[in-house]
Amino acid sequence: MRNIQIVLNAILSKNIFEYILVDTDLNVLESSSGVDRYLNARPKDGDDILEYIPEFVGNEDEIKKIFVKRYCLFTLETVHKNGYYLNISIEYCDAQTAIVLLHNVTAITINQQSLLQYSNESTLLYNTLDKVLNNQNVMIFVASKNHIEFANQKFLDYFDIEDLEMLKNQKLDIYKYINKNIKDYDQLYHYVLDEEREIILKNDVFLLQVSKIEATHNLFTLTKITDISYKANRDYLTGLYRKNYLTEVGEQLIEKKQRFALVVLDLDNFKNINDTYGHLVGDNVLKRFVYLVKQKIRKNDIFARWGGEEFLLLMKDTTPMEIKERIEEIRKDIQMYNFDIAGSVTCSFGIACLKEQEDMDNLLYRADKALYEAKNSGKNRIVFKMD
Amino acid sequence: MIRKKILLIGDFGVGKTSLIKRYIDNEFSDQYKTTIGVKISKKLLVVNSIECELLIWDIEGATPIKKIPSSYFKGASGAIFVCDVSREDTKQNLNSHIENFLSVNPSSKYVIAYNKIDLLSEKQQLALEQTLSDNDFMTSAKSDINVIKLFKVLVKDMLL
Repeated sequence: MRNIQIVLNAILSKNIFEYILVDTDLNVLESSSGVDRYLNARPKDGDDILEYIPEFVGNEDEIKKIFVKRYCLFTLETVHKNGYYLNISIEYCDAQTAIVLLHNVTAITINQQSLLQYSNESTLLYNTLDKVLNNQNVMIFVASKNHIEFANQKFLDYFDIEDLEMLKNQKLDIYKYINKNIKDYDQLYHYVLDEEREIILKNDVFLLQVSKIEATHNLFTLTKITDISYKANRDYLTGLYRKNYLTEVGEQLIEKKQRFALVVLDLDNFKNINDTYGHLVGDNVLKRFVYLVKQKIRKNDIFARWGGEEFLLLMKDTTPMEIKERIEEIRKDIQMYNFDIAGSVTCSFGIACLKEQEDMDNLLYRADKALYEAKNSGKNRIVFKMD
Repeated sequence: MIRKKILLIGDFGVGKTSLIKRYIDNEFSDQYKTTIGVKISKKLLVVNSIECELLIWDIEGATPIKKIPSSYFKGASGAIFVCDVSREDTKQNLNSHIENFLSVNPSSKYVIAYNKIDLLSEKQQLALEQTLSDNDFMTSAKSDINVIKLFKVLVKDMLL
């Protein structure tokens, strides 16, 4: 007991510990004079320690093992009692005695609490902002010089990217869609800052705007304006895209090194229909023709009117064999269809597949040349230029 | 007299401390103050003629980077799992809290508090109610809805 008292005096002199000695039934034997500030009362000899430290309730059996196992320690950290934060531990003294130490950790815990409060409030704010960003109708991304650092869910969904981690690992160079001379997002920032720009991603037109949020980071927003520019890109009579739009999509695919085929479609002897039945009948034939072609093409094909009775079809993600089969089906459907007043109408087709290093103008030239061959060899047929 | 330890468990900011404050002191404060560590509140109850001192452990909530220490769970006879009905993630995390608790106390009883119900519209409350089971309660510490019932049902279940 004398040795314990020496140790306790040493501990108590630091004024951060108080103690209670308990017997094997967890009844109080003795306590230091300062315990009352933590427990609101000074335990009397023979009192049940659980009255004062109910934190031990439910663990009585485990605590009593201290007397058997010796030196076994039972600890509870950061317990809030009477306005103080304490670490409470109980430890073996001798076969009849255990010591409960109350370690005052209030100062350090209050600092930790301030940090935790800040962290939790920040998390709540971040979660709210995240929800706000993800509910926007625009695609948002934050980029530094060469990388996209953040993007909202709408952006990730559009590019079929699972999460931000995946986005960071893959190189999605939005700036390349805009101007070949732009080499990074800093240059894109200056390019877009002066004048918001239109950008075509996949088959949609977006308005790209930018603002600086940090010296190193810029916030870009992509607002889908396909609907706004609908009329500009569409042919009034048929509702199809115009040639310019199809050409732009083709150029973007070439830049991304994606292979595709271009089909030029021309209604045979269409001038005769206009001359014989008038332009209204001719217009109806064009509309019916467009309807028939649309039944056979896929969603990601781009169908456009070049002018007059000439049309263009851009087909990607497919093989030459599939293209040929599909166009043959279209040819047959048109031949079989009864165009009312105009009766039977046929169509000729010139097809060319994109070659290595080829540009859009040359591809169009070759497809048109194939059409010319189809016309010259009897019309109502397909000529396919593989190279 | 018997003593029973119960815990309130859930993510941070779901209203664990507020539920205890409403139950013990019949008070409520709108000001959010993060709980750190653990604080015990006592409540004397007589259930089925049994005098019981309830030791209610208010423990700090789980955060995305800090889980609840399982050492707090030892010796608990029951638990109230709390989520915030306005934060979907706190509802989704309920199962993992329940699993962690039952791994330490497999035979303990528990109830679930869908707290801050006052933030939902009447229509939303009705929709939520359809999904709840017998031991789930829509609660509001702010509006004093179902708080006493929540504790009462748990204690009765514990003393059975």
